[in-house]
Amino acid sequence: MIEIILMLFGGAVMLFGALGILRFPDVYTRLHAATKCDTGGAMGIILALILIMDAPAVVRAKFLVLAFLIAMINPMVSHAIARGAYRYGVKPKVVVDMYAWDNS
Amino acid sequence: MSRVPFYLKERLEALRERVLREEFEASKLPPWERVVLTWAVLMTFWVVVSGSFSANNLALGAVVTLIIAAFMRDLLTEDIRRSGNIIEKLIYFAFIYLPQYLVIMAFRLLESNLKVAKNVIFMDINPGIVKIKTDLHSDTGVTILANSITLTPGTLTLDVKKKLDGTYLYIHWIDLETLNREKAGEKIKGDIEEWLKKVFW
Repeated sequence: MIEIILMLFGGAVMLFGALGILRFPDVYTRLHAATKCDTGGAMGIILALILIMDAPAVVRAKFLVLAFLIAMINPMVSHAIARGAYRYGVKPKVVVDMYAWDNS
Repeated sequence: MSRVPFYLKERLEALRERVLREEFEASKLPPWERVVLTWAVLMTFWVVVSGSFSANNLALGAVVTLIIAAFMRDLLTEDIRRSGNIIEKLIYFAFIYLPQYLVIMAFRLLESNLKVAKNVIFMDINPGIVKIKTDLHSDTGVTILANSITLTPGTLTLDVKKKLDGTYLYIHWIDLETLNREKAGEKIKGDIEEWLKKVFW
């Protein structure tokens, strides 16, 4: 029962992330949708797979290594993309920009 | 600080950096504790990845990870604060600190997913880039703090700048509430910084 709820939750969160990439106005807000929804959705699906699979506990623990790697790498890549876009010259649509105050 | 003449100011900053450096060197772990910590982490990884508990396999893993840990002891444990006995600290870390952090981050991730879904449906965004300050100095601590900030609801780390009195982070905030640095820092960092300051330098 719990694994079906987790799987549906992961799918729904992934769907909202894809919708956010289409609807948000600029690069940085789209990165918000991509990072958070991908990490949360992948976590939900991995937990559901751990519960579904019938195998000894050591084999299930390999999924936890995968979850740890996703949780470390996903925010790092989004940080690299955001910084690279700012350095390249993509202007954010924001109310206040303290990064531009310090760098120009 | 602003009334100090410029030729003295440079000198004062060099002095303060030296004090910081010496404090850092004094609070590092001794070498054998670093080897033991690295060995414990690598051995856990070996057992999980190889997936069998036969004596042959465990002995091979222990020898190989001990050799690797002796060479690579500074890579993983450079920034950990020294406090108390090592066995006590390992048990504290594995059974109290780590579950606490995982529970906090799991609930924040859930909240941020729901918040992004709400933002996508209603489009009530008011973005802005703010600057906050943390007291962490080490690379590992700042990395984990920036990753945690990216996963908390409504914030994304843009850039990191290291200064002498602390580290400054530039945050893209999707729903701007305040511009004051202390209030924004308290809202964005929450209790994660307090948690990280107990473990990392």
